[in-house]
Amino acid sequence: MNKSYKTKRKISTAISYVLLVLISIIWLFPFVGLVLQSFRSYKTEFGGMVDYLVPHSFSLDNYRFLFSGETNFILWYRNTLVIAFFVTIFQTIIVLCVSYALSRMRFKGRTILMRFWLVLGMFPGFLTMICLYFLLKMLGLTQAGAVPGLILVSIASCGMGYYVCKGYFDTIPKALDEAARIDGATRARIFFTMTIPMSKPIIIYTALVAFMAPWCDYVFASYVAFGHDKSYNVAVAMTRWVWTNDYQGYFTRFCAGGVLIAVPVTLLFMFLQKYYVEGVTGGAVKG
Amino acid sequence: MKHSAAKRKKNVIASFFESIGQIFKNIGVTFVEGDIKTKLSFLIFGLGPILRGQVLIGAALLLLEALFFCYMFGFGWQYLSKITTLGTVATQKVGRKTVYGDNSFLILLFGVLSIFAIIAILVIWYLNIQENRKEELLLKEGKRLPSNRTVFLSLFDKNFDKTLLALPVTGIFVFTVLPIVFMILVAFTNYDKNHQSPTNLFTWVGLENFKNLVSFGKTGIGGTFVQVLAWTLVWAFFATFIDYFLGLAVAMLINKKEIKFKKLWRTILVMTIAVPQFVSLLYVMKMFANDGLINGYLIKWGIIDSYIPFWTDPMLARITIIVVNIWIGIPYMMLIATGLLMNIPEDLYESARIDGASGWQMFRSITLPYMLFVTGPFLLTQFTGNLNNFNVIYLLTQGKPQSMSLAEKAGYSDLLVTWLYKMTVNDTNYKMAAVIGIMVFVVTAVITLVVYNMLPSVKDEEGFQ
Amino acid sequence: MKKKLVSVLLSATMAATMIAGCGGSKDTAPTQEAEATEETAEETTEETTEAAEETTEATEDAAADTADADLGSGEIKVWVADNVVDFTNEQIQKFMDENSQYAGYTVTVEAVGEGDAAGNMITDVESGADIYAFAQDQIARLVTAGALEVVEDNNAVAVEADNDAGSVSAAKVGGTLYAYPITSDNGYFLYYDKSVVTDPSTLEGIVADCEAAGKNFYFEINSGWYQTAFFFGAGAELTYDTDDQGNFTTCNSTYASDAGVVALKKMIELAGSKSFQNGSSLSNATNVGAIVDGTWDAEAAKEVFGDNYACAKLPTFEGADGQTHQMSGFGGFKLLGVKPQDDENKLAVCDALAAYLSSEEVQLARYNAVGWGPSNLKAQQASEVQADEALSALGEQLQYTIPQGQYPGDYWTLATSLGDSIISGEIAADADDDTLMQALTDFQTTCEGYAQ
Repeated sequence: MNKSYKTKRKISTAISYVLLVLISIIWLFPFVGLVLQSFRSYKTEFGGMVDYLVPHSFSLDNYRFLFSGETNFILWYRNTLVIAFFVTIFQTIIVLCVSYALSRMRFKGRTILMRFWLVLGMFPGFLTMICLYFLLKMLGLTQAGAVPGLILVSIASCGMGYYVCKGYFDTIPKALDEAARIDGATRARIFFTMTIPMSKPIIIYTALVAFMAPWCDYVFASYVAFGHDKSYNVAVAMTRWVWTNDYQGYFTRFCAGGVLIAVPVTLLFMFLQKYYVEGVTGGAVKG
Repeated sequence: MKHSAAKRKKNVIASFFESIGQIFKNIGVTFVEGDIKTKLSFLIFGLGPILRGQVLIGAALLLLEALFFCYMFGFGWQYLSKITTLGTVATQKVGRKTVYGDNSFLILLFGVLSIFAIIAILVIWYLNIQENRKEELLLKEGKRLPSNRTVFLSLFDKNFDKTLLALPVTGIFVFTVLPIVFMILVAFTNYDKNHQSPTNLFTWVGLENFKNLVSFGKTGIGGTFVQVLAWTLVWAFFATFIDYFLGLAVAMLINKKEIKFKKLWRTILVMTIAVPQFVSLLYVMKMFANDGLINGYLIKWGIIDSYIPFWTDPMLARITIIVVNIWIGIPYMMLIATGLLMNIPEDLYESARIDGASGWQMFRSITLPYMLFVTGPFLLTQFTGNLNNFNVIYLLTQGKPQSMSLAEKAGYSDLLVTWLYKMTVNDTNYKMAAVIGIMVFVVTAVITLVVYNMLPSVKDEEGFQ
Repeated sequence: MKKKLVSVLLSATMAATMIAGCGGSKDTAPTQEAEATEETAEETTEETTEAAEETTEATEDAAADTADADLGSGEIKVWVADNVVDFTNEQIQKFMDENSQYAGYTVTVEAVGEGDAAGNMITDVESGADIYAFAQDQIARLVTAGALEVVEDNNAVAVEADNDAGSVSAAKVGGTLYAYPITSDNGYFLYYDKSVVTDPSTLEGIVADCEAAGKNFYFEINSGWYQTAFFFGAGAELTYDTDDQGNFTTCNSTYASDAGVVALKKMIELAGSKSFQNGSSLSNATNVGAIVDGTWDAEAAKEVFGDNYACAKLPTFEGADGQTHQMSGFGGFKLLGVKPQDDENKLAVCDALAAYLSSEEVQLARYNAVGWGPSNLKAQQASEVQADEALSALGEQLQYTIPQGQYPGDYWTLATSLGDSIISGEIAADADDDTLMQALTDFQTTCEGYAQ
């Protein structure tokens, strides 16, 4: 009895490992393909699509191209970094402010405000794209000014994404606040010296989410840049390489660019994964 | 819960009218009982507070009033005055020169902004009256008014919420509320490629566009709309629940005691969250192309004779999208489930095992109910998120394949939101895009409302708070 | 009613402003300005006819002595495809060096592909480029959206005289010339791998060779542009007439005919081949045996095929009616457009620059730099152009094609839908003639519906 139980367990463990290895292969396959293609030699195999995985000859041609100055890749990369950096900072600050106010303060219209924002969130974002474009244009923040324009739009509406952070604040006992207030501390003081230092995981989570979004924004960003090459971000610039016929032989270059974008973002994500898990789990349960 | 909802609604409506009545009463009482300072404040905002020494509040009110009139006469009025027609002066050619006429777009946009400004100033006017009333009553009781310093400092204590929320609320108002109201109004105009500002004017057409949406004849898009809507719902259902259960399964697999390198497995899976989707999904799109990697190898190895039309066959395209979405979706669910699974007390499983329950039985009677209970709200947000999951669809198929039997350039894998996008960007058909946008909102709102009230975890805890 | 309420409110609050003392110079100034512009707009309506006469004189004068006139200063934005940005910059530099009277203007060149350019211009004319290149199928849309200025009279005479007839008619909407032709190579023909395809003269032969070698044959069946190779080849017709504003007035279509059915059957048959792939972009193609594509991919084709690079006119196909049809299609053109301006001086500079960028000299230089086939008659006679392999294949094909006229934007997407329906098998391979005829009748009716 005991023996058969043990063998059964061994078999089930073995099956589990096989499954995990299979899943891992499926999950990694596209990334492996991406990396391999990025090293395909442009000289001998051109830069178009191929139906094989492993290049016949490896080289750094595609990476060299990206940094050669033939395209503005470095500029696009910098634009994206700048956007991501500022959006991260401002979005984190705003989300913290909104969450604190909604979690700790009781004021007239609080529930109405939350309901209203919830309803607003049900409208699809693309609906307002054209309108936002013209608003930004009035402010001079399109084309050459697209980078600050994109930052402005991202942070202007980010207050609505307070759920996760407010959920976290709700778990910090209110008694702490009460005690501090009895000691004469103002709300602002409590916020800066008590709540914020206690919220490291949620701050990191908010910042991480804010940092990752701009890397994939190709829809609105292409609107705002409006054909001004120097204000593109990587997503706008590089989706062109795949989608339009003007760029022949850019597929491997796309892969190379993709690798350069994915590596730092992925590393950062892996490094802060713990906080991310805490954030999504908390958010999921709180709703 | 449900039966009280109707009652509550009635109460809400009643109290709404009550408070409106209260507001008018307040205004009247304040005017009749107020001194000359208060009476003057009805015209010049904040005059009363300033004269009573409340310079900070008074000045703020006065400044807002000044701003309003500067805006209105300097800028807003020229647009607001034309909002009923959206402009009448057409663009002219003077020799080789082009003289642009009215810009319907700007008239509508700034007309709406001006209406908001008027509402805002009415609210401020009322606040101004209330402030006067409050001060007068305090003085009558012989109390002293708070000093300017106290008023200022309250912004960091009692009124800290106003300080915190001022900027975010303004931002949301200008960059979310205003555009949404604008686009809702566009649904009632004929703003499309033939009526494009600044060269051409557009104007109000009433419910014309909505009629088009529900007309099922040759010219209407009703049939296509129903088809796209149906696929949107089917997609959201499968994308949400397949990912949910598979993610749960993978999480349980990794959570098994015997499995080592837990962190490694998880890290491999979350790659799909970390890598920006436009990189990973565009590569996957190419991979599954008719002439792509997968078909190439399958043919080379002799498994198939001719390529599998992953993206070009309507049914297959939809299935492939759902499958690829699993690749993206499982890791999220796995992360969430991993944490939650550990919360289930181990002794529950122990006692079940003693009772001789099989793994499947334990899953069904312990794990699943717990997970469903805890992650109910998450499932709902996932579902509404998937209704609007633009990236996956657009990066993979752009809504294709199109068909002769679908109107307005819709494709078989189009969601409402990708269809809306194509109308806006490729076709500048803003009027129909606006109508579709409103429909997306209606669908999302209805589903949210219905499901939200059914969630067990919502019934127990009080919703939001 | 609402309006009344608003005005009552306003007049009430107006009094308040007086007292509040805000109504100083600050807010009256813009109002006056606004009124002023309104007035001018009204005045202009009355004076249009007069002014029109005056300005024609004025432009003639200006054309006569541009050298002396002060053209002011400003910025001119040019949109061209990415691979000709450097070339265009060089040419503009040359132009500015030669014409010192335009020194007040700075010209910037941006990389915006021909497809995006038209889309962007329509979305926001004001922010769009002053001069931009586009493919001719966009012209009617652009005219309707007010994104194209009529070509200046003197330039128009020159353009009509110097360029081939097809390109000139492509640049016209109604009877008015709206753009400057720059290439007439926007047609397609066959690139193939010599070692795979032995005889490129029949479609059946090419497909059989590709199937035998396990190679792919690319034809973009879901494109309204490529599709016509079959329809026009079989003898069906589809053209549109437009008025001067770019509105489509009539549609002449014979797709719903026996000829149409022959073409459709052939397309279904082709789509059923295991070597068939839908596409026309060489660098997105894998394992290519042959591809129907244009001159813009000549460089890529040389890269892909290497020593086996070859090109030819499109093949013939054996119709279900038992006859042999030569594949036809469109001969198309790339055009350069000038945006309407509210400053006449700037418009004059744009006119001159656009005329220069589409001149014989620049067209020839463009051919030498990037291989685009010129529309200028003299440039076409140049020895290097005559010797070009891809261009001569195109030239041979062009005798079987019709010059591409104006088509409504909806036609292209409708054609994509037709193509997608063929590829996905929605129009079944074993469908009888009646079903096919029904599909084509639907197609034709919809096409006709685009013209009012």
